[in-house]
Amino acid sequence: MSAPISAIREPLITGSKTYHTITEDICGPTERTPTTAWVIAFIVAVTGLSLYLFSVTWTIWVGIGSWNLNRTINWGWDITNFVWWVGIGHAGTLISAILLLFRQKWRTGVNRAAEAMTIFAVMCAGQFPLIHMGRLWLGFFIFPYPNTRGPLWVNFNSPLLWDVFAISTYFTVSLLFWYTGLVPDFATVRDRAKGLRRKIYSFISFGWTGSAKHWQRWESLSLVLAGLATPLVLSVHTIVSFDFATSVIPGWHTTIFPPYFVAGAIFSGFAMVQTLMIMTRKVLKLEDYITLEHIDSMNKVILATGSIVGVAYLTELFIAWYSGYIYEQFAFYNRVMGPYFWSYIGMMGCNVISPQIFWSKKMRRSILVTFFMSIFINIGMWFERFVIIASTLARDYLPSSWSYYSPSWVEVCLFIGTLGLFSTLYLVFMRVAPVVAVAEIKGILKTGGDQYVGPNIKHDNAHKESTHH
Amino acid sequence: MKNKSNEVWIGDAQIANDPAYLSESNQEFHSLTVVQQLEDPSQVDLNSNRRDFLKYLGFGLGAATVAASCEIPVRKAIPYVIKPDAIVPGIATYYASSFAQGGDYCSILVKTREGRPIKIEGNSLSSVSKGGTSARAQASVLSLYDTSRIASAFRVKNGQIEKPASRNKKGPGWEVIDAEIMAALNATSQIRIVSPTIQSPTTKKAIADFTIAFPNTRVVTYDAISASALIQANEACFGEAVVPNYQFQNAEVIVSFEADFLGTWVSPIEFATQYVKNRRIEDLKNPKMSKHIQVESHMSLTGSNADNRIMVKPSEQGAAILSLYNALAALAGLPSQNGPSLAAEKAKKFKTLATTLFNAKGKSLVVSGSNNVGEQTLVNAINYLLRNYGSTIDFANASLQRQGIDKSVNDLISEMKSGKVDALFFMDGANPAWDIPRAEEFATLSKKVKLKVSFSTVPNETAAICDYVTPTHHFLESWGDAQPKKGHYSLIQPTISPLFDTRQTEVSLLTWAKSAAIDAASEQPALDYLMKHWETSVFPTQSRFAIFRAFWDNCLHDGIYEAPLALTSVPSFNGDVQKAASQVRKPVQNALEISFFETVNMGGGQYANNPWLSELADPVSRTSWGNYLAVPVKWEGGNKISSLNNINPREIYGEADIVDLEVNGTKQAVTAVRQFGQLEDTVGLAIGYGRTVTGYMGKALGNNVGTNVYPWLSVDAQGNTQYYATKAKVSDPVDKEDLFACVQYHHAMGVTGKDPKSGETLNVDEKTSMTIGSGYQGGIVDRSIIYKGNLDELSELVHHVEEKRAEAAELNSKTLYPINEFVDNVYSQGHWWAMHIDLNACIGCGACSVACMAENNVPVVGKREVGRHHEMSWLRIDRYFFGEYENPNTVYQPMMCQHCDNAPCENVCPVAATPHSSEGLNQMTYNRCIGTRYCANNCPYKVRRFNWLDYTKADMFAINEPTISNESLPFGADNLTRMVLNPDVTVRSRGVIEKCSFCVQRLQEGKLTAKKEGRALQDNDVRTACQTACPTGAIVFGDRNNKSGDLSKKLDNPLNYIVLEEIGVRSSVNYTAKVINRSENLDA
Repeated sequence: MSAPISAIREPLITGSKTYHTITEDICGPTERTPTTAWVIAFIVAVTGLSLYLFSVTWTIWVGIGSWNLNRTINWGWDITNFVWWVGIGHAGTLISAILLLFRQKWRTGVNRAAEAMTIFAVMCAGQFPLIHMGRLWLGFFIFPYPNTRGPLWVNFNSPLLWDVFAISTYFTVSLLFWYTGLVPDFATVRDRAKGLRRKIYSFISFGWTGSAKHWQRWESLSLVLAGLATPLVLSVHTIVSFDFATSVIPGWHTTIFPPYFVAGAIFSGFAMVQTLMIMTRKVLKLEDYITLEHIDSMNKVILATGSIVGVAYLTELFIAWYSGYIYEQFAFYNRVMGPYFWSYIGMMGCNVISPQIFWSKKMRRSILVTFFMSIFINIGMWFERFVIIASTLARDYLPSSWSYYSPSWVEVCLFIGTLGLFSTLYLVFMRVAPVVAVAEIKGILKTGGDQYVGPNIKHDNAHKESTHH
Repeated sequence: MKNKSNEVWIGDAQIANDPAYLSESNQEFHSLTVVQQLEDPSQVDLNSNRRDFLKYLGFGLGAATVAASCEIPVRKAIPYVIKPDAIVPGIATYYASSFAQGGDYCSILVKTREGRPIKIEGNSLSSVSKGGTSARAQASVLSLYDTSRIASAFRVKNGQIEKPASRNKKGPGWEVIDAEIMAALNATSQIRIVSPTIQSPTTKKAIADFTIAFPNTRVVTYDAISASALIQANEACFGEAVVPNYQFQNAEVIVSFEADFLGTWVSPIEFATQYVKNRRIEDLKNPKMSKHIQVESHMSLTGSNADNRIMVKPSEQGAAILSLYNALAALAGLPSQNGPSLAAEKAKKFKTLATTLFNAKGKSLVVSGSNNVGEQTLVNAINYLLRNYGSTIDFANASLQRQGIDKSVNDLISEMKSGKVDALFFMDGANPAWDIPRAEEFATLSKKVKLKVSFSTVPNETAAICDYVTPTHHFLESWGDAQPKKGHYSLIQPTISPLFDTRQTEVSLLTWAKSAAIDAASEQPALDYLMKHWETSVFPTQSRFAIFRAFWDNCLHDGIYEAPLALTSVPSFNGDVQKAASQVRKPVQNALEISFFETVNMGGGQYANNPWLSELADPVSRTSWGNYLAVPVKWEGGNKISSLNNINPREIYGEADIVDLEVNGTKQAVTAVRQFGQLEDTVGLAIGYGRTVTGYMGKALGNNVGTNVYPWLSVDAQGNTQYYATKAKVSDPVDKEDLFACVQYHHAMGVTGKDPKSGETLNVDEKTSMTIGSGYQGGIVDRSIIYKGNLDELSELVHHVEEKRAEAAELNSKTLYPINEFVDNVYSQGHWWAMHIDLNACIGCGACSVACMAENNVPVVGKREVGRHHEMSWLRIDRYFFGEYENPNTVYQPMMCQHCDNAPCENVCPVAATPHSSEGLNQMTYNRCIGTRYCANNCPYKVRRFNWLDYTKADMFAINEPTISNESLPFGADNLTRMVLNPDVTVRSRGVIEKCSFCVQRLQEGKLTAKKEGRALQDNDVRTACQTACPTGAIVFGDRNNKSGDLSKKLDNPLNYIVLEEIGVRSSVNYTAKVINRSENLDA
């Protein structure tokens, strides 16, 4: 199909790629000896992971008392990290599911890595509800399993229980979706591999032959999973927001939370995708597949969701004033002026004010600016959750119980540790799986690749179009 | 045959209704005997084969392995061989006894379970304590199980008690020690028995009997916190060397100069019950309330309850008393006296005060905590002038709770210096090597005394300078008596066999005296001696009983015997007012002054090794585990003493500064706490902290907690200890306190101040609201947590409460949930528990908090954990300030689980660990709790407590048992300490949430009692631990469906409200709004 390409659209794949060069470019990193940069990154990541394992062991061994939470502020960095990580996961699903349904072709360059990020982020997120439990070893109580205690069921009124269902469903669907996409690519790797590697990839590609029937079923499954995942993008963070919105604590008890949380999640998710993509494309030399156009598009999403979040912040303040309800007013007064004012400044600065530079196209297309902005936004979104959780709890109804909280070393190490866990998983992923969806990107080569709009290239043996993929 | 197609049958015999089958199947047991069955080859095949053998072998081996590998906990329960009559396992037995420690007195009932005393309750038969208790009395049961208790008689060498090296070896034993002590004494020995106030007539008799053998024996009585000037002044004025009987209930105007009569002064339980009678607002149409004015510099517990506080510096107390005297004298037409005077502005207040007092002649009361004879004489003169003797003060039933004369201990030091003393005996509670201003001198001079013996139950500073320790029993193991007031006798009976090889002081003394008065061979010599004394001295004073045994049994049952009240007569005043006016303290200008005050928990330091008391937050400063320098909070302008301005700016972040405090040339580092109501240019520091020896090494939790202020006390010309110092110096912060154990920062509830620019009164919270980093730290005036008002605006207050409650009802009616229907269908059917707390009756003394800890096995967490806001208290007393910023009023609000009927904690728990009972209780199922802590976050009252670490030492890991002061075994891990646990209440493990249960174990017990007796439950059957502990009856618990119960009567008061009612959680605790009787003309 050589459909006319809109002149104003920039190519989605640059560098005059052929099907074979795509395979070479993307499968290459899984076949070559790791680069020094990767090895260094991996050592750092595994160090973080061991820090994580150590602090988890410490937490379970010593008790939650090894954290600095107190009788007033019963959730702090733990749940902040949980919400942060869950939020980050959202971009992957949005890119892979919603953009698939909307036929946004640019998604193919980033969807694989974004989905991987989703899965790893949800894995990191899932750690916190577990380890923050006072008695982790009885954590299975939260599952509604048949038992001889009556039977005694879980409390279906509790948003924490909804969380269990929401997060586990989300994780399962995301994992399936991701793996489904990986099957044809694993087959590609398999076909190029020898020996043990071939056997392993043969096993995990489920005997994919690339027959038309396979492709047809694969397409259908992808669509079905996309259909399933789409409502999950909205539901998961809605339910996470219920953890707060269903409470009676002023500052938490807010009906604006579901949309505001979802927008924030996508916002932070795209920021994290940017962080990862900018590094990945550089390290794996995938600049032709993850182009400035991608970065530009994602920055637009960031600008849009960031503005939604900004409006939400202002709405909260307005409603607090407008409600005439003193506790609500105080809660928001306290957010801005109270003991945690610096986190509110951090949140506003990083999430609302700084993304405004993306109105400028030049900024949107600057890799350096985008990279720093993505880090900013990740920090800002972490602050947002911290503001909601800690600063609200620190000053609730009874002034007699007001308190202040700063984390212990264990809590800090846990957060750094989950970054280690995440990076380790991502780095392993980079080594074992094609970080760009090979099959899907080939599908858009003709419509989105620049060789069909650019000058013709000379054919030689090296660039002989391969039908084998 | 009927068609039985719908039935299930097991054979044709059943279908056919075969009679043989039916008879067999109707038999419960098999018709054949076991032997017959075994003989019947069709029944069982006894020929075992190889397969069976292997099967049984396998099963047997497997079962044995499984059983052997299971960890079976070692339970140390020893059953009774012969069950004692009085003990039914699982049923508590109560014994009447008395808590008499030095001058502290409380008539008590001791709750014992399976022979162990586990809880102290008040004895309502006593007209002194009237069923009330104090925090100290509540905590006294823990000291019975103090791991530092001295196990037997020992020698002391080089400051160390010579305990045997190992458990198997024995110490010298009583006989050896007795022989050594007796050898060191002879008939001419100059023996001095050093003691705090002895309330016991029998102990005094024992000393008298001892004196027969050793005629040169003298008793040196002193109290660490003394009322010696009061006693001396009364002797001089009225010829009565006692503390008189005060009757606060008869006083309409109460003026207290530094006397903390609700917290610590002489007989606080008694005074609190009296005081509160005139503080409750029950008849709203014709409200009557006493007026209470406190004159002090540091906010004491009593001062915090006062309507007005006139703040004068410690050195101005004399001038203040004199101003009042002169103002009254002017009104009465008497000559005024010359002496130190106050600034005109303050003197004016005392003029106003004098008018108020004069108008309430005969119905007023002026008390002073001063230890200056001149000042006490002037106070006597004032009371005499106001005709209070005979109405609010009398000598007929004078108090015997303070008998110490400071001079006697100073005389003793002089005697020791001149080498006149041969032997010193220290009664339990006496600690002159630490708790007198000249303690160091005393310790040094004690080397000149040949024989020094301590009767202390636990090691202390004085025991360390002794030659022998001959420990007495704990009072819960003793026979004894107390006479807190003339005509009031109170018995002490043992509730457990002595835990250690200890011997009562009386027995020791009489043994050494080889007295015939005691039969050492008797099984209970102390009991015999006590009975003999009562038979001869107490029994004849009554006529109700003809036989002593009947009298004795009755007294022992009741715990008390009260002789008919002596008639009060008005004494004549012989005091020399002119001389008194010249004796009073002289004001010091332009210097920082410090007052040293007693706290409700620590006393003079004798309670330092009691972790329940150490953990109890001070009612006013809300700090625990130490004494903190109270520094004034200045709003605008700053302090004249500029170094005070920069102290503790970051208190709301839990950060406190350590400053160097210099008094009389010696410096100590102390941690500061900002204190509302602390007079500018003054600071305050509590007495009783900084003990260095409170127990054995590695077991003493009270060692080096806080700062010792005794070396800073001075002695005046009359030999009386002075609890203040002038010319103190406070440095700029020198360090940061890492362990600032403050459970509530100084948030106030709507304090007002004057705007420096406009001079208008404005709300401080609003003023400070623009401070970035702190927000408004005052909370919001409109919060429906505390409703308060002045007596003269009572109708406004009623209206305000009504309005707010109507508003809340309106908001709560907007609900989707049919909560009212639920209430009608569920709660109205059986019991519906509720509580009522009268904020006007609550004085904040903390007895309920300690009672709650004792009743519910609430763990002690130590300073570090309290500093991290990990305190576990189920019941806390919130303190809020309101009114004028510089000189606010205080309201105390006991806060525990409110047992909301629409509880926010319940619906957020993912595992349903906190459900609601049909009786309106919010229950906590510890076994089900996984510790997500959402319930605690969602609790608007923040009363849920999480076991952050293994505070109860019940966990499988040893690493997470926090020690309190690096003790060798964590507090509570010792089997001895664990004896205090209430077996009815689960000990919670790490990682679960806990909270007030409305003493559900007591509710169950009460319900069972009523059921067994076949009657409806009365409110009296169920009384929570906090309710029974409260000296003022501020807490009433009951069934709100019982319309004739105690609670229902309380619920009608229009001043009642529910905290945070508008959020619709439907709390079960009602509070009565706080009313104060403040006079503006005393403010100015």
